Amino acid sequence: MDLISALESLEPELEKGLAQASSLDELEQLRIEFLGRKGRLAQIMSKLPQLAPEERPAFGQKANVVKEQANARFEKRRDELQAAREAAALAHFDASMPGRRLHTGSLHPDTLVMEEICGIFGRLGFDIAQGPEVEIDHYNFEALNMPPEHPARDMQDTLYITDTILMRTHTSPVQVRTMLARRPPLAVVVPGKVYRRDSDLTHTPMFHQVEGLMVGQNITMAHLRGILTAFVRGVFGPSTEVRFRQSFFPFTEPSAEVDISCFLCGGAGHVAHEPCRVCKGTGWVEILGCGMVDPAVFEAVNYPRDISGFAFGLGVERIAMLKYGIGDLRMFFENDLRFLTQFGY
Amino acid sequence: MLLSLSWLREFTPYDGSAQALGDKLTMLGLELEELKHPFVALEGITTGHVVACSMHPDSDHLHCCQVDVGGEALLDIVCGAPNVAQGQKVAVATVGSRLPDGTVIKKSKLRGQPSHGMICSERELGLSDDHAGIMVLPESTAVGKRLVDVLDLDCEVLDLSITPNRADCLSVLGLARETAMAFHLPLTIPELVPDFACDSEPLPIEIKNPELCWLYSGRVVSGLTVAPSPAKIRYRLMAVGVRAISNLVDVTNYILMECGQPLHAFDLDKLAGRRIVVRAAGEGEQFVTLDGQNRLLNSRDLCICDGEKPVALAGVMGGLDSEITETTSNVFLESAVFQPATIRKTSRRLGLSSEASFRFERGIDQERSVWALDRACAMMASLGQGKVHRQLSVNQPKAFVPVEIAFSPKQADTTLGLALGSDFALEVLRGMGCQVKADQEPWQVTQPSWRPDLTRAADLVEEVGRVYGLDNIPPALPAMEFSLERAGEVPSDFVFWQKIRHWAAGLGLNEAINYSFVGHKDLDLLNLPAEDRISIMNPLTADQNVLRTVLAPGLLQSLRNNLAQGAQSVRLFELAHVFQASQSEETGALETGMLGLLLHGLRHDDVWPYTPESVDYCDLRGFLEHLLRTLHLGPARFEPLGSHPYLLPAVTVFLGDTPLGCLGRLTPAIAREYLAHEPVWLAEVNLDLLKKASEKATVHFAALASFPPVRRDITVIGSESLTVGSILAHIQSMKLPYLEDLVFVSEYVPEGSQERHLSFRLTFRHPSRTLKDGEVDKERNKVAQSLVNALGVRI
Repeated sequence: MDLISALESLEPELEKGLAQASSLDELEQLRIEFLGRKGRLAQIMSKLPQLAPEERPAFGQKANVVKEQANARFEKRRDELQAAREAAALAHFDASMPGRRLHTGSLHPDTLVMEEICGIFGRLGFDIAQGPEVEIDHYNFEALNMPPEHPARDMQDTLYITDTILMRTHTSPVQVRTMLARRPPLAVVVPGKVYRRDSDLTHTPMFHQVEGLMVGQNITMAHLRGILTAFVRGVFGPSTEVRFRQSFFPFTEPSAEVDISCFLCGGAGHVAHEPCRVCKGTGWVEILGCGMVDPAVFEAVNYPRDISGFAFGLGVERIAMLKYGIGDLRMFFENDLRFLTQFGY
Repeated sequence: MLLSLSWLREFTPYDGSAQALGDKLTMLGLELEELKHPFVALEGITTGHVVACSMHPDSDHLHCCQVDVGGEALLDIVCGAPNVAQGQKVAVATVGSRLPDGTVIKKSKLRGQPSHGMICSERELGLSDDHAGIMVLPESTAVGKRLVDVLDLDCEVLDLSITPNRADCLSVLGLARETAMAFHLPLTIPELVPDFACDSEPLPIEIKNPELCWLYSGRVVSGLTVAPSPAKIRYRLMAVGVRAISNLVDVTNYILMECGQPLHAFDLDKLAGRRIVVRAAGEGEQFVTLDGQNRLLNSRDLCICDGEKPVALAGVMGGLDSEITETTSNVFLESAVFQPATIRKTSRRLGLSSEASFRFERGIDQERSVWALDRACAMMASLGQGKVHRQLSVNQPKAFVPVEIAFSPKQADTTLGLALGSDFALEVLRGMGCQVKADQEPWQVTQPSWRPDLTRAADLVEEVGRVYGLDNIPPALPAMEFSLERAGEVPSDFVFWQKIRHWAAGLGLNEAINYSFVGHKDLDLLNLPAEDRISIMNPLTADQNVLRTVLAPGLLQSLRNNLAQGAQSVRLFELAHVFQASQSEETGALETGMLGLLLHGLRHDDVWPYTPESVDYCDLRGFLEHLLRTLHLGPARFEPLGSHPYLLPAVTVFLGDTPLGCLGRLTPAIAREYLAHEPVWLAEVNLDLLKKASEKATVHFAALASFPPVRRDITVIGSESLTVGSILAHIQSMKLPYLEDLVFVSEYVPEGSQERHLSFRLTFRHPSRTLKDGEVDKERNKVAQSLVNALGVRI
């Protein structure tokens, strides 16, 4: 048999072998048998010196073609077998396997609410101001128009350190400190902890407030209403309405309690013919206190007489309770992980 | 303040509903807390006529009555009261109706006789403690009517929350003024003037502390008979939360509620020397008040005395010795005005708040004090069949002088952001009771005597806004004014803390917020020093009597709460201030911001695919190292601390030479106190220092290396006292030029051996060419040799 025929006879045998190879290992055996260093093609090629010199180029060409075709066939078959193997592996892929669990971190709902509030006021142009939690009577009360023995002090049951040093009962002393440190115009919000000597179902001895203060020329109560409307819409949605109710705080005049239209029932007072659980059927939810800065406060910080401004203070827990539907205030400071992990970050 | 709607209607003809009134008052700043119906339990009770009454055939005390309650048939009712008699008009609970105590009346038989209802006593109706017999109604009473209508009970009561500025609204009269103004109604004060039927010398009134007692007046009413007040007065007082006592005492309470003027009735015959002295108490003086308590007084308390001794604690409570008793027949009735602060001081110090002290603290309408006194005298004389003496005993060291306020109506508009105009302001102020001279600006506005809160223009602005309705102010956004004063200032602590909070939450930690106060015993448990703690003077409980000096007790409390709830892995963080006494601070307290971390339990939850391993030092330290890298700080040094009050081991973390905080494991004995049986790892880091350092940290872009790194591992074998840190420090100190990174890779201690095999990976890279294997091997061998020489280790 001449060498060309020998080459040509490899093809059908290879074809058969490829069809029979059922695994990548068998295929590799086959490849070594045909194309390996001592494989059948190599053996045929080793006989090249037996050929006459003029026959050699044609034989060489033929051998190259056979080798290339064989390589291509092997690759094709390898791809097929590989695909089959991958498919077989995936045939039992269990998509229901759980993900590797990562720890779920969380921020306290008070933190989330304070961040949101400060963010909204930040976009409205307010800076953040802060002050000490242990405060002197002067900043907490006197400079805020609550001299000693003023009955308004009853509104805020106080934890004392000494006769003149106390745990701040509100974030309002930071108003005073800010005005003493800065000249008008200014607009600040003050997030922080405050303390009262009060503990029951609806009061904890520590809670959080955000105070707001804006002072400048010609600041009016209409501006106060505008800023607060922008704020509550930011927190509770764009259709939220604001109601001002006359009230009293020693450091603002006029003073108002602010209600918002109930975000659950939309102010209707009922949901599916049942009285609304959020607003107790009134359509309104009390949310914060505010007012125009009392002239006595400006006097205490030596501000010019022609200045005006407004201040407001809101309870962070109250807003968190409304926003997330938390029923029990005391949960805020028990730090039960089942509570903490509900709010994300 | 409890306001009876029918009482109010005696003062102003308001004919709307209680709810509508409450809503209106709420918007005016007098918030309706609750609408009460004090006699709602009596609404099923009807009036009846005892048509026939005979003794029960089988009883010596029961009566069989036939009662007409306006129905078709007479009702058979068996009644056990001794005073029941034919012809009486009575209160009847018919079958199916419910008594205030919840009893439902059923058809029954008493010793064989049918009984279809119950004839009620005052006690059964909850109207008084009287259960001597059934309640007998006037003969003129119509039959078959609702008892509440027949008795004209005060069925609707508004519970109003009165803010401290509105002293004037602590009375029916004051609330009637507001109602009249709000609904444009007249004020119709029912006239009640005494008939002066007697003359006597007025009692001399000596006021030793005129700055504390601005007015003291009184009048004698004599020949009185003590008895229960008429039903109408008793039920009305009951409706507004005042216990009826006797006609003479009830008068003082009635006028107090009606006019807002506290009054005190002394038994004139018990006043020694027939005179009144108002003076400060002596230091340590003792006095027994009406409630039988012996009170220790001091020189800041004001006393009302007779010729010999104190008879009342001014403005707060009367004395036991001079109180009205059943035998009193002559009364000296006091109406006074005291300085508010002194009353408040005494009331607060003694923890004794009364209806009187509450009003004195807030301010009294001094112009109406004597008027109210006379009103009370007239009422007392009428109820007790006594005689009012013409001569007024009075001493007024400080007369009421109304404040004249300069007011320009424009002020209201500029504050409120409205254009109301001067006519509106004028109408409001006059409606409020102010006298206004409006012929030129600024107006001259005279304060009404009953409004101590109106003394400045700002107060009048508020009144204008209040009456217009603050809720009618339209919203507007201000044109914000900004200044360059604060441009470029570093962000607030709040912003920095938020960044740390998000970092911690992002790494899977849960944020806790604990109270700033703990108990001294909590700090003692952690062996923390007793000095420099800040105690709360008036703590609510012993668990909250000191400010925390470290975050640990709060975090541990939270750990305990969670473990008690069955949690296993707890990973908490908290950012808060800790407090240390410091003379150099204005507030006496140094407040330092701290970050606290607490790890407990398993590193991963005990589920696939993790093996259950407890958290350890390296977990906690990993958080701190990650935090510092996040803030572009460090590397930090971690140095063991010789001793720590509650951590063992305890390690201080240094940034440069500054100790930032410490970390370590809570000693097991303390951990057990918090229910923790697995290791508890705690870290506390000073946020103030961290913030300062991070403000200074700068970020510089480093060009990206374009040649490949070459890595070599090196394993060091040494005794068990060999530390990872010493090897890292030694290699770093060699300052090898192309060493880019050096990390600890693994630790291995062969079984039965004490030696540590510590492996490190060195990464070399040249900035401008590819390093050759040979030169890297040379560097590694240099390191190995140096370690052998310097630390005596094997490689």
